[in-house]
Amino acid sequence: MKEIIAVVRMNKVSATKKALVQVGATGFTASKVMGRGRLVEDKAIIAERRATLLMLAQKNDATTDKLVTEFLDGTRLFPRRLFNVMAHDEDVPKIVAAIIDANKTENKVGDGKIFVLPMLDAVRVRTKESGDAAI
Amino acid sequence: MIMIRAVVRPDKKEVVLDELSVAGFHAATVIDVVGRGKQKGIKFGDVVYDEIPKSLIMLVVNDEDKEDVLTVILHYAKTGGEGAFGDGKIFISPMDEVYTVSSGTAGL
Repeated sequence: MKEIIAVVRMNKVSATKKALVQVGATGFTASKVMGRGRLVEDKAIIAERRATLLMLAQKNDATTDKLVTEFLDGTRLFPRRLFNVMAHDEDVPKIVAAIIDANKTENKVGDGKIFVLPMLDAVRVRTKESGDAAI
Repeated sequence: MIMIRAVVRPDKKEVVLDELSVAGFHAATVIDVVGRGKQKGIKFGDVVYDEIPKSLIMLVVNDEDKEDVLTVILHYAKTGGEGAFGDGKIFISPMDEVYTVSSGTAGL
């Protein structure tokens, strides 16, 4: 048994849920979390994002500039959705592939991470089944 | 790779995250949680508070960085010099695989 923890964009939640159902992983737990990723070292991506944000702001005063800088310097925590999915060992690769497929964007950064952890045991409360049968 | 989950006081969250970033561990996920510890919550007269708000900081690092991360969290999540009940706990679990969605590849 494995636990798959996936951190995904808020607007990709329904796509992720759909993808999970399609690969047969219908049960999951999701929670709202805040997070940040590795610092973006590629200056080009930051410059591009900065231009977009300034354009959206439609004004170019000191306050806006400060806000945009804070937004891009990597210290801010962004809202994300965290999925916990329990899976049989053999299903892990296809679930991971499905999550990646549903969440990949053209933005190059911020698409999330997927963690696969070992799980010792699971018990279904209703029937007291344990191990692989409980999932 | 290992996953480190640290339950800290909500007011220590900022400083712990800042110092982790300085130490080179920038990526983290933060969840607001409620919980109780060994002291069975806080008791004021007849009222027991056993759903105390805490922040759960979750980060995944390479095995060799474990000590560095622990040093930072243990130092900055502590209250006062001696520490106090309610400063939190740190849990470490093994990690099989990590994938980055934007590149679609395995690894941090």
